[in-house]
Amino acid sequence: MKRHQLNGQIGTDPNFTHATHTGHAKKNAKAGALPELKLTPEEQEIFDGKKGELLQKSIKTVVAYGQLFGARNLTDLDAAPHMAMSWGSDGVEPFLKIYKQLADGGLKTYAPFTADPKPMDFENLPMSDKETEVAKKIYNRMDELEEINLKLGMLKDAWSCACYLPQMGNTPKFGDMLAWSESSAINFSNSALGARTNRNSMGIDMLCSILGKAPVFGLLTDKGRKAKWHIDVRLDKMPNPEMIGSAIGIKVVEDVSYITGMDKFLPGGVNEENTGYLKDLGAATASNGAVGLYHMEGVTPEALKYGKDILEDDYQTYIIDEIELKRIYATYPNLWKEQEGTPERVYLGCPHMSYGQMVDWSNLIIGAMEKAGKTKVAIPTYFFGYHKVAEDYEKRNPELAKKIKSYGISIPKNCPMMWCSTPVSGAERIATNSNKTRVYTTARFFFDDALTHLIVNGELPPMA
Amino acid sequence: MGKIFKGRTALSGNFEGSAEVSHYGFNTAATYIDVIIGGSDSGVCMDHDNPDLFKHDLNGKVLCIPQTVGSSSAATLFMIILQKNIAPAAMLFANHIDSLAACGVLMGDNWLDKRIITVDLLGEDFLKSVKTGDKIKISEDGTIEIN
Repeated sequence: MKRHQLNGQIGTDPNFTHATHTGHAKKNAKAGALPELKLTPEEQEIFDGKKGELLQKSIKTVVAYGQLFGARNLTDLDAAPHMAMSWGSDGVEPFLKIYKQLADGGLKTYAPFTADPKPMDFENLPMSDKETEVAKKIYNRMDELEEINLKLGMLKDAWSCACYLPQMGNTPKFGDMLAWSESSAINFSNSALGARTNRNSMGIDMLCSILGKAPVFGLLTDKGRKAKWHIDVRLDKMPNPEMIGSAIGIKVVEDVSYITGMDKFLPGGVNEENTGYLKDLGAATASNGAVGLYHMEGVTPEALKYGKDILEDDYQTYIIDEIELKRIYATYPNLWKEQEGTPERVYLGCPHMSYGQMVDWSNLIIGAMEKAGKTKVAIPTYFFGYHKVAEDYEKRNPELAKKIKSYGISIPKNCPMMWCSTPVSGAERIATNSNKTRVYTTARFFFDDALTHLIVNGELPPMA
Repeated sequence: MGKIFKGRTALSGNFEGSAEVSHYGFNTAATYIDVIIGGSDSGVCMDHDNPDLFKHDLNGKVLCIPQTVGSSSAATLFMIILQKNIAPAAMLFANHIDSLAACGVLMGDNWLDKRIITVDLLGEDFLKSVKTGDKIKISEDGTIEIN
């Protein structure tokens, strides 16, 4: 088994993909001199140390990083940053040390930033004393990270991977230049919003954000956003987005794709109703492969603008039909220690649920509970979501929210994968609707109807 | 004279040392798992899924690999092993360097003032030619000589 070498620690790439991980493949690159990266006079002053040592180190790192991937200039950043580093532990001590130097030096990011969800939600998770103790030991530097982040310009309580949702408000516009980390947020901002960001390593995201500049290569360029794959979806019924995304990620690894055959399922394009679908599809491409951008005909902004002209001349084609999706699903390993055991928890939402997903799952569960005459869920079940999305859902749907709460379902705001990866929780048999959680942890992925049956009856339906 | 390869210099330097070769993607986090979790001061590879390097001491060696793979926290790990002085002296990539390794070695170079000499794009033939224990001479211009 090639995964979980870190006991399921967050951030592991379980597929061990040979890729640049920037979202722009360099398969045919040849050795040669690094390109010259031309700086503006203002940037040159920073590079020469005239604006202080911290900024000088920051720009030197960013320039060298950009040169390695072919950048010839830097660009000013727009909108606001988003950072993936949301856990304070000894494993990220060097970053904490550098970030503290930046903060103590009075530096701030170019705009207030958001970050991924914290590992734990001690208020809303039914954690045992043992779980709490273990989690606090692993994430022993959370307070330090939060204090440093706030000094560097983080928005208070802005911890969610779905930062682009309107309730969180870090929503870039078409064409905005970004230097984000967090693969699912990168994918959504590139694909659904038409903003431009490479898949940045933690560390580079912060240095770019301090400078307000990023090296121009890959997904920041017109050429880098052209599709090398035509994904030909041949299905009559709306497919699970997690399966479509998984199939694409496994096939294209980190290439850009142009998907056809999906617009009939997503009328209205990128809107509140379709946001959750596009978010989950993209997150699955990013976690099952290393995809930073997809275009979807008739749906996503660059596909609407350019149509098939955004395909490279020598594109390849991948057909997805029912048979292919069944083949992909059959490859998912069962990583539960007790493989035939009954599931112990249901995790819904990774990336964090959208407003529409909270409503849809509520209706699904309430319908099934009422049909079965049940008043309490048969298995601990969680909707993972940003607290302001949960507040919006509760405000606009008070009856639904009341029923869901009365069944015993809670809405924690932490990262389900990190909770799943603590040694205590990681040993449990967890069922999830998230392909990303499946990829990074020992949780098993199931379809919505099987999960609904599980939530109501405490067991999976036959043949799930 | 041994076999010569020419790569692209990411972080330059002159060095002569002994090769440690992996034909598998180098999983930085799994290699240094004991450093991250147990606070170990050893540069020995603990990635049991890497039969080429498992239990090999990489400290001060010339690490020859296709690319790095695995945890997105890898950049911080490079900095930790540099701080502890247990890092390889050089990393030679057959493929294009990946963003995780690039961030790690560059931040180490710029923020800790500690360098892992790094050369990439050496090609598949390089990994077919080099063997663990070979003497490697690295020149500042990215020329690699295997003896």
